[in-house]
Amino acid sequence: MTADLSRLLNALGLVAVDTVLVLAFVDQLWFRDLPCPICILQRAGFIAAGFGIALNLIFGPRPSHYGLAILGAMVGGIMSADQVLHYVVPGTGSYGNAIFGLHLYTWALIGFALIVVGSAVMLLFDRQYEPTGPLPLRLTVLPLTAVALLALIAVANVMSTLAICGFGLCPETPGGYLIFNENLRLAVGKIS
Amino acid sequence: MMSLPFLLFACGLAAAWTSRREAAMGFWVAGVLVLLVLFRFHATDVLNLGL
Repeated sequence: MTADLSRLLNALGLVAVDTVLVLAFVDQLWFRDLPCPICILQRAGFIAAGFGIALNLIFGPRPSHYGLAILGAMVGGIMSADQVLHYVVPGTGSYGNAIFGLHLYTWALIGFALIVVGSAVMLLFDRQYEPTGPLPLRLTVLPLTAVALLALIAVANVMSTLAICGFGLCPETPGGYLIFNENLRLAVGKIS
Repeated sequence: MMSLPFLLFACGLAAAWTSRREAAMGFWVAGVLVLLVLFRFHATDVLNLGL
């Protein structure tokens, strides 16, 4: 596998991670399905995994970058597996909406497993680590867009998590945007 | 506090974008450590498994 092909596959992988994170926001904002604390941490797990892929795109493919992607996906996978085990026994309920019959934490576990397998397979090809010349434009625009989108999603999650949880730990079952409730309570307190 | 991992990863991506690889990896390590600590705080329920 050449460095160019590796770069293209990494870019497509990061676009897939970005898509998962954007869909999580769509579920939160459009379908008003507020994420639970562990769900928020799983989003961070996807960003941790995507971070390794982003380093591949910025600095070129290296085994250490794939290592970061695998470790990030494993950390996120532990969290989604914990949540799957919470609801795996029939009659113990579930959290949030199901999509195509599976809940988001189950999809997340599948996603993390795919990142681990994909990164491990990519590690097998040694020719991608050889130094190359300047990259063609088509191999610059897509990767940099994917990295910029990941950074934007990370910043958006900072704001979203602050809105849901405030500055402390999140409530186990969030009932709304805590920051607005706090503001409302403070405003009412000033009036009365 | 829950937004801290996202903030650290965002800082790491900014560092990577400005070609500071070691700083980026440092932010990644800090972000993952904070993530694990937060998971420890939130994963307090006993799993409902009758093994």
